[in-house]
Amino acid sequence: MGRPGFVLEVDERTPPLLVHEGEGFRLEKFPLGSRVIYPPDSLPPIRDVRGAIRHALEHPHGSEPLRELLKAGMKLTIAIDDISLPLPPMQSPDVRQLVLEEVIGLAARSGVEDLKLYMANSLHRRMTGAEIKHTVGERVHRSFYPKDLKNHDAEDRDNLVYLGKTDQGEEVELNKRAAESDLLIYVNINLVALDGGHKSVPVGLASYRSVRHHHNVHTMLHSKSYMDPRPGRSAIHDSCKRMGDLVKASGVKVFTIETTLNNRTFPEPFGFMNKREWEWSLLEQGTYLAAKKANDLSPSAARHQVWMRIKSPYGVTGVNAGETEAVHERTLAKLHEQQLVEVNGQSDVMVIGLPYLGPYNVNSIMNPILVHCLGLGYLFNMYRNKPVVRPGGVMIMFHPVPNEFHQVHHPSYVDFFEEVLAETNDPSTIESKYEERYATDPWYIHLYRKSHAYHGVHPFYMWYWGAHALDYLGDVIVVGGDPKTCQRLGYRAASSFRDALEMAGETVGRSPSISYLHVPPLAIADVR
Amino acid sequence: MGRKLTDEIRDVAKGWRWGRRTMIPRSAESSTPPPKRWDFPTDWARSDAAGVARDLILDVGLRSIIWNETSPEVFGLDNLEGLKGPVMFISNHSSHLDASIIMITLPKHWREKTATAAAKDYFFDVWWRSAFTALVYAGFPVERGAGERATAKAKELIRDGWSIIVFPEGTRSTDGWLQRFRHGTSRLAVEMSMPIVPIAIVGAYAAMPKGRSWVKPGRPPIRVRYGHPLFPREGETHQQLSLRMQQAVGELFDEDRTSWWQAQSRAARGETPKLSGPAGPGWLRTWEGTRPIRRSGEPPTWT
Repeated sequence: MGRPGFVLEVDERTPPLLVHEGEGFRLEKFPLGSRVIYPPDSLPPIRDVRGAIRHALEHPHGSEPLRELLKAGMKLTIAIDDISLPLPPMQSPDVRQLVLEEVIGLAARSGVEDLKLYMANSLHRRMTGAEIKHTVGERVHRSFYPKDLKNHDAEDRDNLVYLGKTDQGEEVELNKRAAESDLLIYVNINLVALDGGHKSVPVGLASYRSVRHHHNVHTMLHSKSYMDPRPGRSAIHDSCKRMGDLVKASGVKVFTIETTLNNRTFPEPFGFMNKREWEWSLLEQGTYLAAKKANDLSPSAARHQVWMRIKSPYGVTGVNAGETEAVHERTLAKLHEQQLVEVNGQSDVMVIGLPYLGPYNVNSIMNPILVHCLGLGYLFNMYRNKPVVRPGGVMIMFHPVPNEFHQVHHPSYVDFFEEVLAETNDPSTIESKYEERYATDPWYIHLYRKSHAYHGVHPFYMWYWGAHALDYLGDVIVVGGDPKTCQRLGYRAASSFRDALEMAGETVGRSPSISYLHVPPLAIADVR
Repeated sequence: MGRKLTDEIRDVAKGWRWGRRTMIPRSAESSTPPPKRWDFPTDWARSDAAGVARDLILDVGLRSIIWNETSPEVFGLDNLEGLKGPVMFISNHSSHLDASIIMITLPKHWREKTATAAAKDYFFDVWWRSAFTALVYAGFPVERGAGERATAKAKELIRDGWSIIVFPEGTRSTDGWLQRFRHGTSRLAVEMSMPIVPIAIVGAYAAMPKGRSWVKPGRPPIRVRYGHPLFPREGETHQQLSLRMQQAVGELFDEDRTSWWQAQSRAARGETPKLSGPAGPGWLRTWEGTRPIRRSGEPPTWT
């Protein structure tokens, strides 16, 4: 049994602590008395994953066994979480591959012939064939791709169906094939509490018409946090639940399969990044030095390639199948066992090191908007009850924030940065003034459907993810950040951590309390 | 990015205390598992080549330093005449000088087959200290409080004919007075039926007490007294033997303070002064324990 999450109080015995900074990392000395929030130790993985999958399919929660739901002549659709999960991508075999092979094997034995698979990418970019192959495995890929294994297309009017409105007026529009199937099976990887549950089908297979009802500034400002999907805590989850209920009421039968992973995030030789620093062996200290120097000396293109090739040696900790809510309840329990850390009280300053990867730059570039989304969106929200930092507090992030964009994956981001952020960074103004135009721009839609671009509206959502943090924080300081880019984002750039603390002093005083959220591996702070 | 490698190495070396004992942040002590058990290999240090190096270090290096910085005198080596190893040398322990002084003062033919029991958690915690202890003192690690496991290596050495130096108090005295003898030492002697040579080291505490890394100035006097060997008696328990060992060391101290004759007489009457120091507050024990040691030739100024 691994150790639970842990909050360290920095004392004179504490070695310098590892801090991620994009495609780099460093050791940083923290002031005495700072708190450092570490995730629980990695949970032991399930040894026989295929056996666990078979057991889950045979003994589902709130549903008949999958075997009994599969019948000859039926129309079956399987939707699969896309490339945004997990982070970093898993070493082969991806758990989705293992689940799919069991499910498809069952379907074949049951005489199912009409079977189609969709990557549930919603408004994300289309995955390439190689990326899909890594996710679903060679057998599934060879059997179905590209004819019967496709990316969901949220702008394909012929393959979308309008199911109706929720009692809150939220329109639900889904992938037609999925909605009209006799059975829709959703295969998920639940990396964080934001994922899964009713956020799978009503979001992953939806269109802009549907997604805009919960991906907006109002919802984000009322999701405190969106890593806490309990009813009434997260407006986005409440909205997704209403939509999920409507999907169910519309007669769409969904069989959900959710999986959880442990937090073995970094493979060797980067295993030291998974460990608490004072437990580093001499070999790991040497590995840090070698990796750090090699990383610093590498040309940026080579460095980028190395980071993007990292595949995580995650172990599977849970497989649950059946009715969406019954499954998700168990999934969250397992997830919390792996990620939840009790933290007493808030701090004046929250420190995070932004890693090289977020959900939207796999095999891509983390542009400034994605830095905002990762820092003020996802990592700020890694809490339950209260944020780690107090209202009006300061967030210090480590990242170079280069002014770089992936021209294929993020074309609308470039314009968002140059046009929209040049005028304002207020989420509400941005939403009302620009969103509609970007969302319906024919060129962006064309690139989304035919190239590998994120939807034109996607950078807006990335900005909205950080709306709550922007509203809540007194200041955002980025150590090592490009000053011009940071200025555009509304941040302040500092050349060193010491400078950043000095600058933070203007907002929170000379002796602030400091909490460092030591991720990845991921942790959710349960702030009391 | 772009810091010099030397700066990075310096930060890591400082942060992880290279060459020093690993320390765990206080708030993490309860949740950090103990480091993996790893025994520093010491057999190499008892080879002939290591013996030559040891002689060189002890006779040329350490002897020069200690005999220059202090004024040691040795008495009672004649008690070793006619004695056959392996034997157990036991001594009071109040200074880092103790092991060095015994090793240096042992006759060469004894030293070449004598090893020193050293606390694993202190002397074998980092590689360089482990190597130094193993080479200079023919040291082998003893895990404090580990019961049978602690004496396994000692038994192996004794069976190979090695005499061993043991400090039965288990750790250095913090006030100069003798602490209770741990029973592991006498139990080992009983089990191995081996003779015990008591040694009293007088003045080492005053010269370099716990907490000092160098000898006090003024060439303080140190006297080393080897006593008559003790032999475990038929049916004697280790508790009884332990008391005899303490008594023997006490007599040697008494002999140093007075004379051989007076010490013998007092021992016969059961009046050997206790070495556990005066009862009372800690400062009083330290005060008494740090009284200057008389130099040879001077009459005792106190009794």
